[in-house]
Amino acid sequence: MIEKKQQIFNKLGLHARAAAKLSHLANMFSADIYLIYNEDKVNAKSLLGILTLAASVGNEITLQAAGEDEQEALKAIGDLFDRKFDEES
Amino acid sequence: MIKSVIITHGNLGRELVQVAGKILEQKLDIEIIAFDWQGDGSAMISALEKFIARHQGQKVVIFTDMFGGSPSNISTRFVGPDVEVISGINLPGLLKFFCCEEPNGNFRQLVKKVEQEAREGINIISEYLGDKK
Repeated sequence: MIEKKQQIFNKLGLHARAAAKLSHLANMFSADIYLIYNEDKVNAKSLLGILTLAASVGNEITLQAAGEDEQEALKAIGDLFDRKFDEES
Repeated sequence: MIKSVIITHGNLGRELVQVAGKILEQKLDIEIIAFDWQGDGSAMISALEKFIARHQGQKVVIFTDMFGGSPSNISTRFVGPDVEVISGINLPGLLKFFCCEEPNGNFRQLVKKVEQEAREGINIISEYLGDKK
Protein backbone atom coordinates (compact mmCIF):
# COMPACT_ATOMS: atom_id res chain seq x y z
CA MET A 1 0.00 0.00 0.00
CA ILE A 2 1.32 3.44 -0.91
CA GLU A 3 0.24 6.98 -0.09
CA LYS A 4 0.83 10.38 -1.58
CA LYS A 5 -0.09 13.87 -0.39
CA GLN A 6 -1.78 15.87 -3.10
CA GLN A 7 -2.85 19.48 -3.25
CA ILE A 8 -5.91 20.59 -5.18
CA PHE A 9 -4.95 23.23 -7.72
CA ASN A 10 -8.05 23.72 -9.87
CA LYS A 11 -10.29 26.64 -8.91
CA LEU A 12 -13.50 24.62 -8.64
CA GLY A 13 -12.02 21.87 -6.49
CA LEU A 14 -13.49 18.37 -6.57
CA HIS A 15 -16.74 19.34 -8.28
CA ALA A 16 -18.88 17.08 -10.47
CA ARG A 17 -16.86 17.16 -13.71
CA ALA A 18 -13.53 16.79 -11.92
CA ALA A 19 -14.93 13.94 -9.83
CA ALA A 20 -16.18 12.25 -13.00
CA LYS A 21 -12.72 12.42 -14.57
CA LEU A 22 -11.08 11.19 -11.40
CA SER A 23 -13.40 8.23 -10.87
CA HIS A 24 -13.18 7.32 -14.55
CA LEU A 25 -9.39 7.29 -14.32
CA ALA A 26 -9.39 5.35 -11.04
CA ASN A 27 -11.58 2.68 -12.59
CA MET A 28 -8.88 1.96 -15.14
CA PHE A 29 -6.70 0.45 -12.42
CA SER A 30 -7.20 -2.78 -10.55
CA ALA A 31 -5.75 -1.37 -7.32
CA ASP A 32 -8.04 -0.20 -4.53
CA ILE A 33 -7.73 3.57 -4.50
CA TYR A 34 -8.91 5.94 -1.79
CA LEU A 35 -8.97 9.67 -1.18
CA ILE A 36 -8.58 10.82 2.40
CA TYR A 37 -9.55 14.32 3.43
CA ASN A 38 -10.05 15.43 7.04
CA GLU A 39 -11.39 12.27 8.62
CA ASP A 40 -13.19 11.02 5.54
CA LYS A 41 -11.93 8.20 3.38
CA VAL A 42 -13.74 7.57 0.12
CA ASN A 43 -13.38 5.18 -2.77
CA ALA A 44 -11.80 7.03 -5.70
CA LYS A 45 -13.79 4.81 -8.07
CA SER A 46 -17.06 6.29 -6.80
CA LEU A 47 -18.02 9.62 -8.30
CA LEU A 48 -20.50 10.23 -5.54
CA GLY A 49 -17.95 9.31 -2.89
CA ILE A 50 -15.52 11.88 -4.22
CA LEU A 51 -18.21 14.58 -4.22
CA THR A 52 -18.99 13.96 -0.55
CA LEU A 53 -15.50 15.17 0.37
CA ALA A 54 -16.44 18.71 -0.76
CA ALA A 55 -12.72 19.41 -1.13
CA SER A 56 -11.77 22.82 -2.52
CA VAL A 57 -8.84 24.53 -4.15
CA GLY A 58 -5.85 24.73 -1.84
CA ASN A 59 -6.91 21.75 0.25
CA GLU A 60 -4.51 18.89 0.67
CA ILE A 61 -5.78 15.35 0.43
CA THR A 62 -4.09 11.99 0.74
CA LEU A 63 -4.18 9.53 -2.14
CA GLN A 64 -3.91 5.92 -1.11
CA ALA A 65 -3.60 2.87 -3.36
CA ALA A 66 -3.15 -0.83 -2.75
CA GLY A 67 -2.75 -3.42 -5.46
CA GLU A 68 -0.67 -4.59 -8.37
CA ASP A 69 -0.75 -1.31 -10.29
CA GLU A 70 -0.73 1.02 -7.27
CA GLN A 71 2.33 2.97 -8.45
CA GLU A 72 0.90 3.67 -11.89
CA ALA A 73 -2.48 4.54 -10.39
CA LEU A 74 -1.15 7.19 -8.00
CA LYS A 75 1.13 8.60 -10.68
CA ALA A 76 -1.75 8.98 -13.15
CA ILE A 77 -4.13 10.42 -10.54
CA GLY A 78 -1.50 12.81 -9.21
CA ASP A 79 -0.89 14.01 -12.77
CA LEU A 80 -4.60 14.68 -13.22
CA PHE A 81 -4.63 16.87 -10.08
CA ASP A 82 -1.46 18.64 -11.22
CA ARG A 83 -3.01 19.31 -14.64
CA LYS A 84 -5.92 20.95 -12.81
CA PHE A 85 -8.19 18.31 -14.30
CA ASP A 86 -7.52 19.90 -17.71
CA GLU A 87 -9.94 22.67 -16.79
CA GLU A 88 -7.54 25.56 -16.81
CA SER A 89 -4.56 26.44 -18.91
CA MET B 1 -22.33 -4.37 -24.73
CA ILE B 2 -25.06 -3.05 -22.44
CA LYS B 3 -27.51 -0.72 -24.16
CA SER B 4 -29.71 1.78 -22.38
CA VAL B 5 -32.88 3.72 -22.87
CA ILE B 6 -34.52 6.32 -20.64
CA ILE B 7 -38.28 6.79 -20.57
CA THR B 8 -39.81 9.60 -18.58
CA HIS B 9 -42.75 11.92 -18.26
CA GLY B 10 -42.11 14.82 -20.63
CA ASN B 11 -38.54 15.90 -21.30
CA LEU B 12 -37.14 14.94 -17.91
CA GLY B 13 -35.07 12.16 -19.47
CA ARG B 14 -33.63 14.40 -22.16
CA GLU B 15 -32.54 16.97 -19.58
CA LEU B 16 -31.01 14.33 -17.29
CA VAL B 17 -29.04 12.87 -20.19
CA GLN B 18 -27.88 16.29 -21.31
CA VAL B 19 -26.65 17.25 -17.86
CA ALA B 20 -24.93 13.89 -17.31
CA GLY B 21 -23.27 14.25 -20.72
CA LYS B 22 -22.03 17.74 -19.79
CA ILE B 23 -20.55 16.48 -16.54
CA LEU B 24 -18.89 13.49 -18.18
CA GLU B 25 -17.91 15.57 -21.22
CA GLN B 26 -19.13 12.95 -23.64
CA LYS B 27 -22.12 12.24 -25.82
CA LEU B 28 -24.02 9.51 -24.04
CA ASP B 29 -25.10 6.48 -26.01
CA ILE B 30 -28.67 6.24 -24.75
CA GLU B 31 -32.05 6.29 -26.42
CA ILE B 32 -34.49 8.87 -25.05
CA ILE B 33 -38.23 8.29 -25.11
CA ALA B 34 -40.62 10.96 -23.81
CA PHE B 35 -44.05 9.98 -22.51
CA ASP B 36 -46.77 11.43 -24.69
CA TRP B 37 -49.17 13.11 -22.26
CA GLN B 38 -52.02 12.99 -24.75
CA GLY B 39 -51.58 9.41 -25.88
CA ASP B 40 -52.46 6.03 -24.40
CA GLY B 41 -48.87 4.88 -24.17
CA SER B 42 -48.95 2.89 -27.41
CA ALA B 43 -46.29 5.09 -29.03
CA MET B 44 -44.03 4.47 -26.06
CA ILE B 45 -44.61 0.70 -26.18
CA SER B 46 -43.86 0.64 -29.88
CA ALA B 47 -40.66 2.70 -29.43
CA LEU B 48 -39.52 0.36 -26.67
CA GLU B 49 -40.32 -2.77 -28.69
CA LYS B 50 -38.29 -1.41 -31.59
CA PHE B 51 -35.37 -0.52 -29.35
CA ILE B 52 -35.27 -3.96 -27.76
CA ALA B 53 -35.68 -5.71 -31.12
CA ARG B 54 -32.80 -3.66 -32.52
CA HIS B 55 -30.59 -4.87 -29.70
CA GLN B 56 -31.67 -8.49 -29.67
CA GLY B 57 -29.08 -10.64 -27.94
CA GLN B 58 -27.69 -7.68 -25.99
CA LYS B 59 -28.37 -6.63 -22.45
CA VAL B 60 -30.67 -3.63 -22.08
CA VAL B 61 -31.28 -1.31 -19.13
CA ILE B 62 -34.45 0.76 -19.16
CA PHE B 63 -34.33 3.81 -16.90
CA THR B 64 -37.64 5.30 -15.82
CA ASP B 65 -38.44 8.33 -13.69
CA MET B 66 -40.87 6.97 -11.10
CA PHE B 67 -41.96 3.55 -9.91
CA GLY B 68 -45.67 3.13 -10.63
CA GLY B 69 -45.77 5.86 -13.29
CA SER B 70 -46.79 5.02 -16.86
CA PRO B 71 -43.23 4.89 -18.26
CA SER B 72 -42.28 2.48 -15.50
CA ASN B 73 -45.43 0.37 -15.75
CA ILE B 74 -45.07 0.03 -19.50
CA SER B 75 -41.39 -0.89 -19.16
CA THR B 76 -42.17 -3.62 -16.65
CA ARG B 77 -43.59 -5.88 -19.36
CA PHE B 78 -40.14 -6.07 -20.97
CA VAL B 79 -38.27 -7.28 -17.88
CA GLY B 80 -36.40 -10.52 -18.54
CA PRO B 81 -32.98 -12.14 -18.41
CA ASP B 82 -31.61 -9.57 -20.85
CA VAL B 83 -33.70 -6.56 -19.85
CA GLU B 84 -33.76 -4.78 -16.52
CA VAL B 85 -35.70 -1.70 -15.46
CA ILE B 86 -34.36 0.81 -12.94
CA SER B 87 -37.10 3.17 -11.79
CA GLY B 88 -36.62 6.55 -10.15
CA ILE B 89 -33.34 7.17 -11.90
CA ASN B 90 -31.51 10.34 -10.92
CA LEU B 91 -28.29 12.11 -11.87
CA PRO B 92 -25.96 10.09 -9.57
CA GLY B 93 -27.36 6.82 -10.90
CA LEU B 94 -27.03 7.87 -14.50
CA LEU B 95 -23.50 9.12 -13.93
CA LYS B 96 -22.56 5.81 -12.35
CA PHE B 97 -23.87 3.91 -15.36
CA PHE B 98 -21.90 5.95 -17.87
CA CYS B 99 -18.88 6.97 -15.88
CA CYS B 100 -17.49 4.19 -13.94
CA GLU B 101 -18.47 0.80 -15.16
CA GLU B 102 -17.16 -1.43 -17.90
CA PRO B 103 -19.74 -1.49 -20.70
CA ASN B 104 -18.99 -5.18 -21.18
CA GLY B 105 -18.96 -5.97 -17.48
CA ASN B 106 -21.36 -8.10 -15.47
CA PHE B 107 -24.94 -7.03 -16.17
CA ARG B 108 -26.47 -7.81 -12.77
CA GLN B 109 -23.57 -6.24 -10.94
CA LEU B 110 -23.82 -3.05 -12.97
CA VAL B 111 -27.57 -2.74 -12.46
CA LYS B 112 -27.14 -3.22 -8.73
CA LYS B 113 -24.33 -0.65 -8.50
CA VAL B 114 -26.36 1.94 -10.41
CA GLU B 115 -29.35 1.40 -8.11
CA GLN B 116 -27.12 1.72 -5.05
CA GLU B 117 -25.46 4.92 -6.28
CA ALA B 118 -28.84 6.46 -7.13
CA ARG B 119 -30.14 5.69 -3.61
CA GLU B 120 -26.99 7.00 -1.94
CA GLY B 121 -27.34 10.23 -3.91
CA ILE B 122 -30.36 11.23 -1.85
CA ASN B 123 -29.56 12.93 1.44
CA ILE B 124 -31.17 15.24 3.93
CA ILE B 125 -28.27 17.63 4.13
CA SER B 126 -28.76 18.62 7.79
CA GLU B 127 -28.70 14.94 8.80
CA TYR B 128 -25.69 14.33 6.61
CA LEU B 129 -23.83 17.24 8.18
CA GLY B 130 -25.00 16.10 11.62
CA ASP B 131 -23.28 12.77 11.09
CA LYS B 132 -20.14 14.60 10.13
CA LYS B 133 -20.04 16.77 13.25
